[in-house]
Amino acid sequence: MSVTQLPDPLLVSLNTPAAPARPRRRRRDGRWAAVLVLPNMAMFTVFIVVPVLGGLYLSFTSWDITNGLPKWIGLTNYRQMFHDPAVWQASETTLKYIAFGVIPTMIISLWLAMLINFRFRFYTLVRSLYLIPAAMSFAASAVVWRYIFQDGPGYGILDFVISKFGVSNPPDWLASTTWALPALDIITIWLSLPIATILYLAALQRIPDSVIEASTLDGCGPVRRIRYIIWPGVRYMTPLVAIVALLSFTNGSFDLVNILTKGDPIGSTQTLIYYIYFESFGLGFWGYAAALSILQIVIIAGILLILRGLSSLVNRW
Amino acid sequence: MVISPRVTRRIRIVTAVIVGLVMSAPLLYMLAGSLMSNSQLSVQPPQYIPNSLHFGNYPAAFHGQTQVIQLRSFVNSVVFTVGAVGLQWALCISGGLVIAKMRFRSRGLITVLFAISLFIPLITTLIPTFVVTYKLGIINTYEGLILPIAAQTGFGSLLFRQYIKQLPEELFDAARIDGANWWLMLRRLVIPLARPATAAYLAISVLTAWNMYLWPLVAAEGGSLQVLTQTLANAGTSSLGQVTPQNVIYASVVIVTLPMIIVFLAVQPAFIRGLAGSGVD
Repeated sequence: MSVTQLPDPLLVSLNTPAAPARPRRRRRDGRWAAVLVLPNMAMFTVFIVVPVLGGLYLSFTSWDITNGLPKWIGLTNYRQMFHDPAVWQASETTLKYIAFGVIPTMIISLWLAMLINFRFRFYTLVRSLYLIPAAMSFAASAVVWRYIFQDGPGYGILDFVISKFGVSNPPDWLASTTWALPALDIITIWLSLPIATILYLAALQRIPDSVIEASTLDGCGPVRRIRYIIWPGVRYMTPLVAIVALLSFTNGSFDLVNILTKGDPIGSTQTLIYYIYFESFGLGFWGYAAALSILQIVIIAGILLILRGLSSLVNRW
Repeated sequence: MVISPRVTRRIRIVTAVIVGLVMSAPLLYMLAGSLMSNSQLSVQPPQYIPNSLHFGNYPAAFHGQTQVIQLRSFVNSVVFTVGAVGLQWALCISGGLVIAKMRFRSRGLITVLFAISLFIPLITTLIPTFVVTYKLGIINTYEGLILPIAAQTGFGSLLFRQYIKQLPEELFDAARIDGANWWLMLRRLVIPLARPATAAYLAISVLTAWNMYLWPLVAAEGGSLQVLTQTLANAGTSSLGQVTPQNVIYASVVIVTLPMIIVFLAVQPAFIRGLAGSGVD
């Protein structure tokens, strides 16, 4: 079986390997390439490249529900953004939501992958229990989790369960400024875990069982086993897990916020993505929302750069 | 104290099962809740096992005062998913072949564009995308629902590129000697050989399309093109308090999610291969 692998976009963009040098006369496929790639590129251009460039242009214009056409105003939107306290709060909320979501996703998924990385009867069935949330949409999860988080004294099932573990004063979750964002994180982590677990499981299964067994026989405790055998085996996968989790936290957050909290209570769950939607489709400030979108893209790019830096660090460690 | 390997193994299995049950608990609870009576759902402390099976919650989700799901939105979801994924597959497999095996000048550029597009969330280009779709006159039509999503070819093209790249060059040379052009090679060679990649691609993108919420929300403002994710999002959130009973809402979520769970279980190996490469089982 040949290998299909999730394209690692960092690798793709940074070192697209040239076609291997071939001894014979260089063939050129220009015309056929144009024919075959044309439908793809045409659609991609119309619905992705044009909107991205158009959005960049709009970010320098004043265009809202009161005026008909975008009017060039230079950097005004960006200046306004800088002085808009809601932008700062939304950026902070976004970063918190991502940090408290992506990092636990990575740690828990590695732990889950280690839990099921061995053969037993009904292995496939048990693995399905871990992976099945991947089939569920953010929208459907939001509906179910709304009941799980439900407030009121001892009302929601989650509060009931944690009270069994001795927590006498369970949080109000979605109604609380402190707990609403963690609640959204919990849902997103739950939805991101299956794919992250699959990725780590793939890496773990490349470590031969004999190596792990030998280390156990040599009296290697769990901490050292993780440090010297598991981690070196899975660290190459870690940047990809981080990226996939990051994407689910940026793309999916809108659905949850829009369905569950609309940014409330008191703006505590207003992520930048939701703020963009609110400014554009809620208030009709399209030019300003375009500038916010550029900020969002810059933030993602920044996180990716940090991840690249971290991943080269991690690979040396 | 020495624990025998057999006992360790038992402990590992039991732990794996218990943690798996915790991970799928929200789904299992939803399933249980969809079969409970509403009075059982409001009992304190909460119960997990239905004391009698109320299958009536399922038809109740489709009609009457408790209706959550219109048949029309079910049809819309199917049309949207099949249309967007089918069209996108055709674009991606041909695009993937082009950037994997063909030699021309702007190949690197196209590949990089695809990669960059993965990191630009739809929300950040939502207004311009809406404007383009609007200018094409296809807002509130199936075309307007499908085309902008089918155009997100970055992920699929890169996935097919990855797979097609490692098909042996000799196959293509042989086909060329037999006089085949690239179109024939795509149809007779690449599409059949890339079947595992297609399976992986379908597994991932069918889930994505079925579960998509944002674009349909914007492109089908009129209502008749609503898809299931919107239907669910609106369920039980009436400003007058919850009108739809909780058990019917659970049943609706099960109805909407079940097709994907079935798809997921059926294609699980392909899904895993698509994400993580082969050799995983």
